[in-house]
Amino acid sequence: MQKITGILEKTLFYLVLFLFVFIPLYPKFPLFNVTGTFVAVRIEDIFIGLTVSLWAVYLVISNQLRIFLKDKLSLAILLFFFIGVVSTFSAVFLTHTVFAHISILHFLRRVEFIILLPLIATVVKTKKQFIIILIFLGLTVLAVNLYALGQQYLDWPVISTTNSEFSKGLILRLTPGARVNSTFAGHYDLAVFLAMTIVILVSLFFSVSKKMKIPLLLLGGLSFLVLMMTAARLSFAALLIGILSVLVLTKKTKYILIILIFMAAVLIYPSQLRDRFISTITVNIFKQGQRYEGKTVDQQVRSKLNIPTLAIKTSSMSASTSAFASSSGNIATDITPGEPINTTELGVYRSFQIRLQIEWPRAILAFFKNPFLGTGYSSIDIATDNDFLRSLGETGILGTAAFALIIIAVWKKIFNVFKSNSRLIRFFSAGVLSMLIAFIVNGLFIDVFEASKVASLFWMMLGLNLAVLSFKDK
Amino acid sequence: MIKKVFILFSVLLLIYMLWPGPGQISDFKALPSSSKSKLEGDTIQIPNVSAYFSDNFRKFVVPYYADLYQNKMNFPFPPLRLNHPPEYSWIAIKKHTDSTYIEELTYPLRDSLYVNGYEPFYSDGSPKFWGSTKFEENGGSWYTKTTLRYYPSASLIRILVWFGIISSFYLLFRVGRKII
Repeated sequence: MQKITGILEKTLFYLVLFLFVFIPLYPKFPLFNVTGTFVAVRIEDIFIGLTVSLWAVYLVISNQLRIFLKDKLSLAILLFFFIGVVSTFSAVFLTHTVFAHISILHFLRRVEFIILLPLIATVVKTKKQFIIILIFLGLTVLAVNLYALGQQYLDWPVISTTNSEFSKGLILRLTPGARVNSTFAGHYDLAVFLAMTIVILVSLFFSVSKKMKIPLLLLGGLSFLVLMMTAARLSFAALLIGILSVLVLTKKTKYILIILIFMAAVLIYPSQLRDRFISTITVNIFKQGQRYEGKTVDQQVRSKLNIPTLAIKTSSMSASTSAFASSSGNIATDITPGEPINTTELGVYRSFQIRLQIEWPRAILAFFKNPFLGTGYSSIDIATDNDFLRSLGETGILGTAAFALIIIAVWKKIFNVFKSNSRLIRFFSAGVLSMLIAFIVNGLFIDVFEASKVASLFWMMLGLNLAVLSFKDK
Repeated sequence: MIKKVFILFSVLLLIYMLWPGPGQISDFKALPSSSKSKLEGDTIQIPNVSAYFSDNFRKFVVPYYADLYQNKMNFPFPPLRLNHPPEYSWIAIKKHTDSTYIEELTYPLRDSLYVNGYEPFYSDGSPKFWGSTKFEENGGSWYTKTTLRYYPSASLIRILVWFGIISSFYLLFRVGRKII
């Protein structure tokens, strides 16, 4: 039996190593679609499913199941799944707010992401395995960055899931002004991944030998450059908070001022990111910027309707009044009165207004409708762009509290690793905790816990850190 | 003390969830001075749907059904009024439902009554948009159409959800105490 256990342990380790490389690198090609949603099942789901199945067999054979079930974190995870089942049941049969098969699909997605945490935590058993994973992760990050540069400068293919048509697996190319997404199918997902990566790299930078500092610095610099190309404001802010957290946790506070000056200098330098930051302040906070007033009385009246493009009855019968702006001009053709004329400002304005007027109120309504259990997974559409409101809307107070318990349990466990004698492990733990903070900051405006690639990697990194607790050769 | 509060909460929640209420859409009265729609989709094709042509506007219609719902429930408090975007009518009522507003009247953890209104005219009779026409139905001419859909649930379902909630609270407390 021990021989079988040994074989299983080795197989699982290689599978885990494969997942660490495959999940970030494989483009989001759909394997098969599910009716009623453009969330598709992909080949990585199959690989994760196979790995989890094998892990379940391993837990039983190696008598670790009992230990697993006694662990506080495992109990919190199982409780989160239980509440997910209750919430789904309530959504299907009581509030009637979901289609059963789509809600179950979304529930299983949560299970798939989170189960990677205990899986990695029990499979990675030695410091050597831990370092191998870190090396492969470094090479994977390099590949992700190089592919992003290829998309920007060499016209390499782009796979995107930002709308229902793209998510069918269309091979696209970056259009002028479009932002790179590398293998992440969305520039925000890539930015979140890079923010996570850079935070860990900063922590590792302080723990490795001088010889190793140079490659880490280069990889971090390259990742930062690509992050700038995504022009993702929130990930930039999350990165800053994450790095500051690393410096505090590793007691390297003397670098804080340098980091702040560097980040400020980056923001001053002309870039799409800078323009979007400025637009956020001028348009969303101070309500400034030149607004479109409408060409005709028709448009001004129409803009007050729920559907501004609806034709209204006025004295003018000209067909030309139905279009809001001319396609030949610099103004967006679908602009409506009250929106900013400048295209960058318009993008920033809409990005915020969609959250403020549609997505967040929808989640709050769902929470009011069923405060304990929410209205079920998938009930508030594909995005809320605030993971905490989404959690409250979909699973209510109970689901959100169970999720918070998982995060607290992980935080407490990793915090204990600080006592480790190994400098590498201590600094890596500081990096993972800071990554967790940066991830939560990202979750304030993006559904990071549901974005499959980054969510999987997030739980895997936490699992990798927890694995350190049980190292035989620490 | 916590145990007593928890038991009291559980019992009160069960009473609230099992309190008898309307069972189907026919338990809700028709809109005053209206004509019931006999159009396809408004009668038997979709369960618990009914529609009325009338000259009643949103300001009257939604409070009317909120009062009615509260009276049917015999609760001292009115149902929650949740305002949804008009396009939600395709999900909550049925596909291709015209809408200028849709509100949900709900008692949380119980059933919901959706009130969808299609009002091509303002209450002073002026058209809202190009192509606004009055409804010529059942020998009358009407300004608005109100469609209702009720989502009832079986008592057994409510008991199971109640059990799920109570168990979740209990387990959260147990696991939470171990972790925090």
